[in-house]
Amino acid sequence: MLLEIKNLLTCFYSDDDVNRAVDTVSFSIPQGKTVCVVGESGSGKSITSLSIMGLIEKPGKIVSGEIIFEGIDLLKQSKKYLRSIRGDKIAMIFQEPMTSLNPSYTVGYQLDEVLRLHQKDLNKKERYERVIEGLELVAMPYPQEKYGEYPFKLSGGQRQRVMIAMAMMCEPKLLIADEPTTALDVTIQAQVLDLMRKLQREKGTSILFITHDLGVVAQMADEVVVMYRGHVVEKATAKELFTNPKHPYTKALLNSIPSPGKVQRKSKLDTVDENVDYLQFSKEIR
Amino acid sequence: MNTLFEIKNLKKHYEVNKGLFAKPTIIKAVNDISFEVKKGEVFSIVGESGCGKSTTAKLLMTIEEPTSGEIFFEGKDITKFNKEELREYRKKVQIIFQDPYSSLNPRWKVGKIIAEPLKLNSDLSAKEIKTEVLAIMKKVGLEEDWYDRFPHQFSGGQRQRIGIARALILKPEVIICDEPVSALDVSIQAQVLNLLLDLQKEFNLTYIFISHDLGVVEHISDQITVMYFGDIVEANDVEGLFSNPQHDYTKQLLSAIPTIDF
Ligand SMILES: Nc1ncnc2c1ncn2[C@@H]1O[C@H](COP(=O)(O)OP(=O)(O)O)[C@@H](O)[C@H]1O
Ligand SMILES: Nc1ncnc2c1ncn2[C@@H]1O[C@H](COP(=O)(O)OP(=O)(O)O)[C@@H](O)[C@H]1O
Ligand SMILES: [Mg+2]
Ligand SMILES: [Mg+2]
Repeated sequence: MLLEIKNLLTCFYSDDDVNRAVDTVSFSIPQGKTVCVVGESGSGKSITSLSIMGLIEKPGKIVSGEIIFEGIDLLKQSKKYLRSIRGDKIAMIFQEPMTSLNPSYTVGYQLDEVLRLHQKDLNKKERYERVIEGLELVAMPYPQEKYGEYPFKLSGGQRQRVMIAMAMMCEPKLLIADEPTTALDVTIQAQVLDLMRKLQREKGTSILFITHDLGVVAQMADEVVVMYRGHVVEKATAKELFTNPKHPYTKALLNSIPSPGKVQRKSKLDTVDENVDYLQFSKEIR
Repeated sequence: MNTLFEIKNLKKHYEVNKGLFAKPTIIKAVNDISFEVKKGEVFSIVGESGCGKSTTAKLLMTIEEPTSGEIFFEGKDITKFNKEELREYRKKVQIIFQDPYSSLNPRWKVGKIIAEPLKLNSDLSAKEIKTEVLAIMKKVGLEEDWYDRFPHQFSGGQRQRIGIARALILKPEVIICDEPVSALDVSIQAQVLNLLLDLQKEFNLTYIFISHDLGVVEHISDQITVMYFGDIVEANDVEGLFSNPQHDYTKQLLSAIPTIDF
């Protein structure tokens, strides 16, 4: 296993309340495989990934558990150590690319910086070529022109592609992608998903792919982790999950997708009942 | 079925100034489109961001004026309507938006938000208006005692129900739904789609349904029109479009949908 998460508990504290955002979550990511975490908004997906990256800030806190990466428990390491693996062995693509691109540097400068830090054997010209290659890989129109542009000049989809190029250029062991294609059009999404699979095949990258889109899960996942209200309610291979879901929550979620062939047009779709606490079914499943 | 809308050679071009001495660029947001919407159907417009879906919606809502072209509603060209005719038209054609939050006034209570169109367009008493609002809230699945709450106290799905209630209060004939479920989780999306289909049957509504999600569109539509860079590239009924797409772009769009099949 490249990464093992054991009983991770991450909480957010307010004056009179504790929100168990990630509640004793366990799962692992094998070498070279894609694990998808799926769940509705607020179920704890992003906080799980930020916990792995060591990026939980007040009022949040990782309370207990283990996050073992290449045999080392990240929760026991210094801030400095965590910083040294971020953007190197572990790279992350966020949902909102504007927050992670520096607005005052050009796209090219920021991509070049990744290579300056992580691929020290390349010279300036080689780095430029690699950056352009990276931009071409993510299907950026006019890569040479885009090299000199500032992030705000790009569309949302283009900024996301810069982020993806940046993460991939580090050639990380683990790529954490938090809803990386949610803001993109389907045809661009299809390209980006292809690209991530290609990178994985070529470099053996492990991917933690966070999404609420079950279609994307079906395309990407070797294994799936279903989160609900901070808990993992079901873990299965992609095939098992879609052909034989076990937990009532997973079933409700799958049945709520309007999927041609399975659900009759204009018929009533199943829904997840907001008044039901699906966690009550968990004991019977395990 | 009767034709409700007939759109002929509709164009909306925006002029964007790039600087004092540069020649302005023309953005052809909607570029010569024609289509017909029949009464009682769900007529969907699909396409990727920037292809002109929302601009089309704004033109039909008379929020924007066309550069050229005609929009016939029940046989009359709305681009030539006088004030009174426009007022009547705007009662009959309502809209719901993608982001229910930014389209609801955060300082107004739900009751007031839903009542507003009725206050502006009827001479009902305050009491009568409240009765109507509560009835419509019940219809869309909002509880009566939420009348005095503010939008931020609601989840995304509930806020979309508030938007739907506001659109329904004037008993319109047509609702233009601009990406009404795009911001919602799938399970909540399912609830809203169920509601929209129920309401359509009950009130005999016509929907112009705008979406980039082809799964949703296949579920809800009768007719589908595919837009690409301001043009209509293909139009067909739902079975035809999905089983036998003609245009390359439609094919590309269909093959890009992440499907679940094991
Ligand atoms: N900065 C924060 N402060 C307080 N609570 C937070 C913060 N970030 C997330 N949470 C809470 O943690 C829970 C999980 O959130 P998150 O992991 O972002 O969900 P998602 O599955 O949508 O990514 C939610 O209840 C959310 O309100
Ligand atoms: N007020 C405006 N001024 C200039 N360009 C606009 C304006 N509104 C829309 N556009 C442009 O028109 C095109 C179509 O936009 P829109 O109808 O919003 O697309 P969609 O809803 O399909 O995503 C886009 O290129 C958009 O940038
Ligand atoms: Mg998230
Ligand atoms: Mg739009």
